[in-house]
Amino acid sequence: MTSKKDKARIKAAVKRRKRETYTPVVPDKQLGFVHNNVDCIGCRACEIACKDKNGLAAGPRFRRVQYIEGGTYPDVYAYKVNMSCNHCESPACLPTCPTGAIFKRQEDGIVDIDSTLCIGCRRCEAACPFGAPQFDPNDNIVKKCNMCVDEIEAGRKPYCVMACMMRVLDIGSIDEIWRGSLDTVAVGPTDKVSKQVKNMANIELTKPSIGFVAHSKGKVK
Amino acid sequence: MILPIRTLIPLLLPMLLSIDPAFARDIGPEDYERSRWHPIHFKPNIDNAKDEQCLSCHQEILERKVLNQSPAGITSTEVLAWYQTLSTYEGEQETFHRRHLVTPLATELMDLKCNTCHQGNDLREEAVIPPDHSNQDLTLRKSVNPDICLMCHGANAYELMGLPTPWTESRKNFQNNCLLCHSYIRTERHQVNYLKADAIEAAGKANSDVCYGCHGGRQWYRIAYPYPRNPWKSMSKVTPGWARDRPTESEPRFRKEIQQAAN
Repeated sequence: MTSKKDKARIKAAVKRRKRETYTPVVPDKQLGFVHNNVDCIGCRACEIACKDKNGLAAGPRFRRVQYIEGGTYPDVYAYKVNMSCNHCESPACLPTCPTGAIFKRQEDGIVDIDSTLCIGCRRCEAACPFGAPQFDPNDNIVKKCNMCVDEIEAGRKPYCVMACMMRVLDIGSIDEIWRGSLDTVAVGPTDKVSKQVKNMANIELTKPSIGFVAHSKGKVK
Repeated sequence: MILPIRTLIPLLLPMLLSIDPAFARDIGPEDYERSRWHPIHFKPNIDNAKDEQCLSCHQEILERKVLNQSPAGITSTEVLAWYQTLSTYEGEQETFHRRHLVTPLATELMDLKCNTCHQGNDLREEAVIPPDHSNQDLTLRKSVNPDICLMCHGANAYELMGLPTPWTESRKNFQNNCLLCHSYIRTERHQVNYLKADAIEAAGKANSDVCYGCHGGRQWYRIAYPYPRNPWKSMSKVTPGWARDRPTESEPRFRKEIQQAAN
């Protein structure tokens, strides 16, 4: 990002923006996360690594490890559902943005936000069925996970994946993840990858690019 | 005995603001953690929560404004939000809550309460313990189930309507007029306690593009809401395949008579 603001260029970009209808970008390749709900121990190292990378204070959490616990003794259970941004096929956040700050990348399908264009209306936050866009009360703008796009361009994996000590979080081509053909230790040899787990919003809303190894109590039909 | 004025204020203020005194006394502004677990944030009390009760602590949702300018210098007046490109919306950018509760269009057509959308405590941290899998209102990390949004802002199922392409592409062939067909292919709609049905009918008659304002123009998601189905007059008595398993009535808490009971 340049330090100098080019106002004329920004204005021209705003004018170009289409009104009313939005046709989602069909990326050349869609990257997505895969998370093993069963083997995740909920240490939140991924959350902390993410905060470290993105310089976030205590409030906003790009990555969220969600604890699901329940049952009655002796049939009790606990598992984690770990989500950041799901870089959806039809992101609901994108068309809500009045300034065009949110965009989906053609090459890898990453949904990114240019927070410098954000006016803090928080519509994206309301629209996302998974709670990905995070409002930063210090800056009064919304920020979110961009899958550490700089790391990806440098041929590495995002901070959260690199920090995962259980190796239950990984990224890859979402088609490979769903097929189970991705070479990753996050999915065991007998594990099946599912697109949805219990208590997660309907995936048909935005078609999130994420796969889970679901817990037996977290499976959906 | 004369009570000191400090003792009287907490007793009198709720009466003046017509807040249930028992409620206001329970919640001290200094006790945030305790307030989070107040029974009003959970079922079944949340179903009877009045807006005044919610707003007595959450007033800021009606006061927040969008920034005048983004960090890179885009001003909120030089860009158009999606809703501003529709014929139904006049005025500057407003926040989400204000556009559903207090802006002119909201007060004209809608009768949303806090608990129409918010069905419990802020569930952003965790699912409830233990997770109640029979309760579909619980959605991880969302304080509102996105299906609630869908009730008004679902996509138009253009295939079912017999349109060749989505409305945005075929609107010109239909004079951009929903009522061209839907003045007779329709039943009594909007009969729910969060909308002002009569006002919506009147607004639709005055300008049929108004329909698109909610049904498509503010569409975030790409699926349709399975509305409760009532066959229209000339329709066959046989339920078509696409309408199988559809409910025939709204969820109980959205029915009109419930609102009258709560009031």
